[in-house]
Amino acid sequence: MSTEQLKTEAERPVAFTVNGQAWRGWVEVRRTLADVLREEVGLLGTHVGCEHGVCGACTVLVNGQAVRSCLMLAVQADGCEILTVEGLSESTERLHPLQESFWDHHALQCGFCTPGVLLSAYALLQENPQPTLEDIHEWLSGNVCRCTGYQNIVEAISDAASRLSAEKGGR
Amino acid sequence: MAQAPRFTGQRIRRVEDPRFLTGRGRYLADLEPLGTLAVAFLRSPHAHARIRRLDVTPALQVSGVAAVVTGADLTEANIYCAGLGGQPYPPLAVDEVLYVGHPLVAVVARSRAQAEDAIDAVVVEYEPLPAVVDPVEALAEGAPRVFSQAESNLCFHLEHTPEGLDALFAEAACVVRGTFRHQRQTAVPMETRGILAQYEPVSSRLQVYASSQWGHGLRDGLAKALGLPQSKVQVTLPDVGGGFGAKYGVYPEDVVVAWLALKLGRPVKWVSDRLEAMVSDFHARDSIHIAEGAFAKDGTFLAIRDHMISPAGAYLLDGSAAVLETVIASLVLPGPYKVQAVGFRIDGALTNTTPLGTYRGVWGPAATWVQESLMERAASELGLDRVQMRLHNMVRKEEFPYASCTGVVYDPGSYQESLQTAMEAIDYPGFLKRQREARAQGRYLGLGIAAFVEPTSLGAWQPEPPTVPYESAVVRMEPGGEVVVQVSVNSHGQGHETTIAQLVADALSVDIGKVTVRFGDTAAAPYGGGTFGSRSITVGGGAALEAAGRLRDKILAIGAHLLEAAPEDVELRDGTVAVKGVPARSLSLAEIGRVAHWVPAKMPSGMEMGLEASSRYVPPPITFSNGCHAAEVEVDPKTGRVRIQRYVVVEDCGVMVNPTIVEGQIIGGVAQGVGAAFLEELGYGEDGQPWATTLMDYHLPSVTDVPRVECLHLETPSAVPGGMKGMGESAMVASPAALVLAVEDALSPLGVRFERMPLTPERVWQAMTATRS
Ligand code: FES
Ligand code: FES
Repeated sequence: MSTEQLKTEAERPVAFTVNGQAWRGWVEVRRTLADVLREEVGLLGTHVGCEHGVCGACTVLVNGQAVRSCLMLAVQADGCEILTVEGLSESTERLHPLQESFWDHHALQCGFCTPGVLLSAYALLQENPQPTLEDIHEWLSGNVCRCTGYQNIVEAISDAASRLSAEKGGR
Repeated sequence: MAQAPRFTGQRIRRVEDPRFLTGRGRYLADLEPLGTLAVAFLRSPHAHARIRRLDVTPALQVSGVAAVVTGADLTEANIYCAGLGGQPYPPLAVDEVLYVGHPLVAVVARSRAQAEDAIDAVVVEYEPLPAVVDPVEALAEGAPRVFSQAESNLCFHLEHTPEGLDALFAEAACVVRGTFRHQRQTAVPMETRGILAQYEPVSSRLQVYASSQWGHGLRDGLAKALGLPQSKVQVTLPDVGGGFGAKYGVYPEDVVVAWLALKLGRPVKWVSDRLEAMVSDFHARDSIHIAEGAFAKDGTFLAIRDHMISPAGAYLLDGSAAVLETVIASLVLPGPYKVQAVGFRIDGALTNTTPLGTYRGVWGPAATWVQESLMERAASELGLDRVQMRLHNMVRKEEFPYASCTGVVYDPGSYQESLQTAMEAIDYPGFLKRQREARAQGRYLGLGIAAFVEPTSLGAWQPEPPTVPYESAVVRMEPGGEVVVQVSVNSHGQGHETTIAQLVADALSVDIGKVTVRFGDTAAAPYGGGTFGSRSITVGGGAALEAAGRLRDKILAIGAHLLEAAPEDVELRDGTVAVKGVPARSLSLAEIGRVAHWVPAKMPSGMEMGLEASSRYVPPPITFSNGCHAAEVEVDPKTGRVRIQRYVVVEDCGVMVNPTIVEGQIIGGVAQGVGAAFLEELGYGEDGQPWATTLMDYHLPSVTDVPRVECLHLETPSAVPGGMKGMGESAMVASPAALVLAVEDALSPLGVRFERMPLTPERVWQAMTATRS
């Protein structure tokens, strides 16, 4: 069998929901979720910094869990619900409190790690709405940022947690 | 006169952030013109080998493959890269591979996966040759040579023994010595390198997009390599995900991709993966300093001798650390101290390792470590207090401008004040007490001090400067009153869209929302040296301020003419030109814009239409920022692990345009310093195999490794318009020294001295065990 045939046979139909929208298509089984999100779905906010599961730049939420999309095959996401950075807010004008807080605290410089860090932080706050600084440190240890030295990221997450719980309390 | 600044000096949120926060930043990998082909490189698994057979025909059979190129193809096409001084070297290996990661074949295919499939199909037979990794061994008689035709591996040598140096050492009351080996590192921006090139038939030019710190340099380099006029190459920089020196220059992959785009007439793109980045991005640092310092009885620092040896890798590149780190070190080794003579010898050796280039703080981490270690060792030998001894030797306020014995001139700074401020913040007397108490309990507490100078904002620092000595800005007011600033420097995280807008908004008394800063396209941005060496806000910002000042004068002249007032009687105020003291007599900038662009009859006679001004600003040769880091650590004697308890930075970078951004640079720089001091090392086995080729074995600092950094500021304005000084590298320069010295201080009861970084728990534990037995 030629490589060509092998590859065609190695394609599978995949369907998932991204940021609330349904997506379906044929996907080579060897392709990662990160690549399919970027190249097929067209969501370029998910970044690839290492492709071997260390940097966390590719973090997205799959069924509510923070996942390294470079380590997950797209076919494994069949039937799943995915959240990427593009799904955090409706527009650049209406930011999610986490994004707003990152902006206020200068928690980003080059912005390359930022989508992954935001998604990790989002998952943390889902699980633990009032994390201590230690909780944040521990949770974030899987995201590498080469620019900021993390301090402002930690402060931003902590502040966002307070804002979110104040919002909830106010309601 | 304009109003008092509304934006400069303020902690303004960054203008560029919303796009990054919402996943709308656009980096190189995100660009994909229709029909783009992907490139993958075959890289050598050997440190040194002859290519006995290279057969690419099986690769051509792989589905989707459009072309396969070898070193021989490029030689035939006369395509070369330029090393130091323009010395040509082949972009793909020919006949021999010289280091692990050395590219020898490029494949172009419909997708990257197909290109990688084809790479696997290439047949290569290697005949391994002896490799040399260590620079001292490389320079020894009979060492294997990287280039068999060459007489030796020595690729760079410089030495200088000033008159009187030997006498100063002979008369010194105390001479301290040490060997200091700064390990090999690499910058690791989170976005890897990448380039996309396409031939544009309409304008008959090569359009290049690249993740780079210097668009014009890449343009000039590609034009030279490909034999094209500079006007036929356009480089556009998208958002750049960090650079730290690793994206400054022209890499072999850039030349190959651009050449392929011309040859194939299709868009061709290469994005480095992390594994190849670890062996193909510039490696950095990697120098041995064998240094000695001469001191008088009262602690006066008399002289330094330093023999620097560095393994340049297989090629001596333009920005090679073997040259830049060492030569700059020879100029700034005294740091903030007055020294009467500095003697040095530099030996650069070719080795079978990835070529060295630049990484944030070129010269600094090693030189500051040497300088501060000599000071510490002398203080302990002479029985003097290390803070007092530093103060005694520092250049004093009244001594500026201070001509160093090395030939550089220090502009005014706050050397003693920054040390004093840092010691107050860290509570030096209190620390000494805590340290004594801890020792009594068998605990190891240490304080490391690193006072530093940072030479920034290079201008014409040599008669024929090796770097572009100026930056440019064009400031334009559109008919509607909005302001567009084009600058030659570009951002890869530094926030130029915000800081330069802050400066220009104040210069023109408009709201910052009216100012847009643009950069990164050689077809639109004026020429300049790009972003390196802590100079964007000083040289680029200086140019923007000068240009904005010229535009302001023109606006005032037009306004005065229209208001029938003398130019000195009008002022800019909140988006208007108004007669001083008569706010009712004013014109909006939109009105001035309308006249300047549409109504020649209303313009002052002889004045050119339009509202645009430019500047090419040449700063003073070097602008020095300064400061002091103080680190308090505790060492766990059981594991050798170091905990950073407190970290204080005092920074004097002149006038701060945006203190939040300044602090961001400091905190990020300290984190990278933690990496240098404790974690990161690109080691090689004797066979030339690299030990760290993934982020699993190259340990970048994570959130749990870095301290909370307390930032304090002093402000000694510079001579640059606006009074700013560069500061992007200072924290990287000072922090490794502060951290290593803190550990040595903690272990001083054991007399431990470290000869090499990083201080991994294993190395610390071993050093402790060795002295105990
Ligand atoms: S790209 Fe997935 S963890 Fe780095
Ligand atoms: S902001 Fe650049 S890597 Fe995090």
